[in-house]
Amino acid sequence: MTLAMTQLPSILGPAMTADAAAIPVRASGLSKSIESRDILRDIDLEIPHGRFIALLGANGAGKSTLLKILSTLNAPTAGTLDLFGISAAASAVKIRRHIGLIGHQTMLYHDLSAMENLVFFAKLYGIADPAGRAMELLTQLGLANRANDPVKAFSRGMAQRVAIARALLHEPRLLLADEPFAGLDAPSTALLERLLTELHGQGKTIILANHDIAQSLRLAQTAIVLAKGRKVIDTHADQLDAGAVLASMENAAADAADGGVA
Amino acid sequence: MTATLNQIAVLAAKDLRIEGRTRSTLGLVVVLGVLIISVLGFGIGTQPQLAALGAPSILWVAYLFSGVLCFEKTMATERQDGALAGLLLAPIDRGVIYAGKLASNLILMFAVAAVITPVGVLFFGMDLSAAPLGFVAVIAISMLGFAAIGTLFAGLMSSSRLQGGLLAMVVFPLVLPLVIASTQQVLSPGGTGLAILVAFDAIFLTASWIVFELVLEP
Repeated sequence: MTLAMTQLPSILGPAMTADAAAIPVRASGLSKSIESRDILRDIDLEIPHGRFIALLGANGAGKSTLLKILSTLNAPTAGTLDLFGISAAASAVKIRRHIGLIGHQTMLYHDLSAMENLVFFAKLYGIADPAGRAMELLTQLGLANRANDPVKAFSRGMAQRVAIARALLHEPRLLLADEPFAGLDAPSTALLERLLTELHGQGKTIILANHDIAQSLRLAQTAIVLAKGRKVIDTHADQLDAGAVLASMENAAADAADGGVA
Repeated sequence: MTATLNQIAVLAAKDLRIEGRTRSTLGLVVVLGVLIISVLGFGIGTQPQLAALGAPSILWVAYLFSGVLCFEKTMATERQDGALAGLLLAPIDRGVIYAGKLASNLILMFAVAAVITPVGVLFFGMDLSAAPLGFVAVIAISMLGFAAIGTLFAGLMSSSRLQGGLLAMVVFPLVLPLVIASTQQVLSPGGTGLAILVAFDAIFLTASWIVFELVLEP
């Protein structure tokens, strides 16, 4: 196992250790409070390379906050986060080169075309041939013939495909997906499912926050369930069924209603 | 250094491309500036002495309101569909994002000033024959300081959900020393006015670059 991990290409230079390659996400005691309200409480994570994680939980459980912290968009109030063996607090800019985030918002400029959006972001990531890479992804995602249309003219599904291309431009090692299926029609959902499976097959580490429990358990290897900001389940996805996950969420809600700690 | 300058250029070019496509800022801001000059100009009346003394201040009123609209508009594009988060995910220093926004704001303001300043000069019969380039330099240096503060607080306001006229309420008092130094420098060139303007720019540019990291929230 260790030998296999040391053979992984170094993504942050020679200083990257075999342990960092094997465990790209390592968090300890992550907590986040906003205006004295606890959003996340004492989350420990150790996510091995190439793992597909489903992050589940009711609205307000802390899924999006956790993904924002893992993407370095937000800082935790307490706890430590190491990504690829490097402290996120110390070297966020360096780490961002290896993280892709797909959200329920497209994070695109609607007045620019799909091509212009992708070329803009590709330049910020320092990609050698921004236009070539953008067209390559648009072709893969079936949007080559709409490359020069403004994003505001796109359907939700098409815009989300451009957003996926934006997240994959720099070939991130860690892909975070926050409710990426929200508002998608059936064909777009199927396309995104297939894409996530392919990316996982290519060895990417994926963390998917999703409301559809059955779909998440089908796609992922590991399920992490959050309730009221705490991690209540962390196990193999095939050892869970949607009913058990739902029950854990309902128990957490009942505890909270009784004034207990979820 | 070259990479940083390239990133700043890419960021500014994106804002200007969006403005070129939507034309949502420049047209509105130029009309507002011309209106301010006209209304205040007519209010002062036709006394040449009053007009000459009041002209730099009236020009600044037009610059201030036009500038605030530019700052709000360029930052508003980042709030569409979470675009700011996409920007913050890029492996670039947040000071670079600040510099990119500052550059696009400054270009927009210079474009606005290029229209409304000649209108003001003609309207008030300002005599700039003694040092026309000096006048342009003073306005340019003053606008840099104004844009430095405006860009910083536009970022802060957009992150804190405080919108609308609040930006003007915060920025106008802060740029008061800059406006005073600028108008005095136009009315009576020389003295310490230029040094004050340069010092103001240096302080706010440096401070804004540093604190922008803390200001932006996705």
